[in-house]
Amino acid sequence: MEHSFWYLHMPIAGVEIFWPGLVLIGFSVGTIGGFFGMGGAWMVTPGLNILGFPMAFAIGTDIAHIAGKSMVSTMRHSKFGNVDYKLGFVMLFGTMVGIEIGAQLIMWLERLGRVGPVVRWVYVGFLALISFMVFYDYYKAVQSKKAGRIDGEKGAEGITWYKTLHKINIPPMIHFKTAGFTCSAWLPIMVSFITGILAGFLGIGGGLLRMPALVYLIGCPTHIAVGTDLFEVMISGLYGAFTYTLKGRIELVAVFVMLTGAAIGAQIGTVATKYAKGYGIRIGFGCAVVACMASIILKQYGFDVSAAVVILGAISLICVYIISIMLKGAAAELRDKKERERAAAAFQN
Amino acid sequence: MKRNPVFWCVTLLFLVFCFGPAWAAEVSQGNCISVNEKDKTLTIDEYDLNFTKDKPYGHPTGKNSTYNIATALIGIPPAKGDVVRISYDVKGTERIALKIMNVSKQDLKKK
Amino acid sequence: MRALVCMILALCTVISALVPAAVWAAGEKAAMLVVVADTRRVTSDIGKYFADLYNTNMWLFAVWAVVLTAGYGVFLGFSMDIIMARTGLDLKSRKIVEH
Repeated sequence: MEHSFWYLHMPIAGVEIFWPGLVLIGFSVGTIGGFFGMGGAWMVTPGLNILGFPMAFAIGTDIAHIAGKSMVSTMRHSKFGNVDYKLGFVMLFGTMVGIEIGAQLIMWLERLGRVGPVVRWVYVGFLALISFMVFYDYYKAVQSKKAGRIDGEKGAEGITWYKTLHKINIPPMIHFKTAGFTCSAWLPIMVSFITGILAGFLGIGGGLLRMPALVYLIGCPTHIAVGTDLFEVMISGLYGAFTYTLKGRIELVAVFVMLTGAAIGAQIGTVATKYAKGYGIRIGFGCAVVACMASIILKQYGFDVSAAVVILGAISLICVYIISIMLKGAAAELRDKKERERAAAAFQN
Repeated sequence: MKRNPVFWCVTLLFLVFCFGPAWAAEVSQGNCISVNEKDKTLTIDEYDLNFTKDKPYGHPTGKNSTYNIATALIGIPPAKGDVVRISYDVKGTERIALKIMNVSKQDLKKK
Repeated sequence: MRALVCMILALCTVISALVPAAVWAAGEKAAMLVVVADTRRVTSDIGKYFADLYNTNMWLFAVWAVVLTAGYGVFLGFSMDIIMARTGLDLKSRKIVEH
């Protein structure tokens, strides 16, 4: 009785899942993603796998929840004209073929009985990359603060690889009006193809790789890159959801539970960005990534319970921190607002 | 302007739901007793829904049932002694298997 | 930025080295995995409908999955907008950082 209350039966994968863990992962992905402006999908596949989902199901479920999450944000960006649809549609080919190859690779590994360990080790590498980026970014910010510069990000503007790449003259050459450049169609197709494979293989949106590629390799203005990337994330999510479902590797119940958690979490995360100050929280984020990496390794060596404790503990800590930022900030803002109104009313009287 | 696509989507979903009941298959799970390659049939000893720690796939009921597997989608080929889960359609007295999952050999919980 | 690109290249190299190595280490068995949803254990009608669909018509199940996920995503997005507008916080000045 006690046991069955905490565990939800997943009808397709046939596993019993600790549902509070599922809700927590969904909520954290929303909160952390909303706060740092970087999709939190990297923690979903390992998290679901640690909770007991077979690896292929974890990937399929992750990619489907990305599709749901990205719908609204894409609509918002397209309202502001931040999406270059021509570029988006050209990239669509590469993304879809890439996702399919990634998914086929997973199915092939599954047939060989190696999908669990291989994906887990690739994830360890991938998370090492993310944590390196976060800590490196922090280090740079601290250095430039010491040197007295205000904006540490400007150093990246010197990179103009795209100018060389635009000279590649393989037909068809296409002019992208919104983004404002002309290049060989193969350039965006290749970029989206590679990110597509990664997205289909790891069950992520691929924005982590696609965003810098759009800006530095393709030469997109940053705001167009953000919108177009979101459009691409949506397409890759939808196509990924479709192809993984067709392969029978999805758990709809989990997708819906996580989407609900993510929608609520995303609001808290995005509101919290308004009140957050300083770089300290980035260290927390980096630590969460490292904790996630450690829990994958624990899972790989069979310590399932400690793996679950590490990952759930780490993401709840960071969530509590973000929520406290949000609550403090929001309370202060509402208090100020009320006081202003009271003062205005007193003035009128 | 906005109503049109929404309207069509709802209509489509409604139609799909109407046809929904046509797609239903029975499911059974049990211990594979024999596989007849020539006749393309598979016989199992059906298990019940009483899942316990030592019998995670259910307890044997002693009721044997035979399935026609000629057109079925088969994963890891079932052998005698494997626990299999079968989705099937009943046509007359015959049970036509649609999909056969080798539960014990592929053990999804370990992936 | 240069460091990032180097790391990405390194990651790709690691993946391309790891995948074949891990696969050759396993080798022999290569049978497709077929999953049958256990509809006997599903009690709700909706759950049963989808589990049945999973067993019998995967294409329709896939269409449903995509349509429902997208639809639910849009529904959640708009309902959250309405709820957040009611909190009285000034949300216009926030940065749009979401993906």
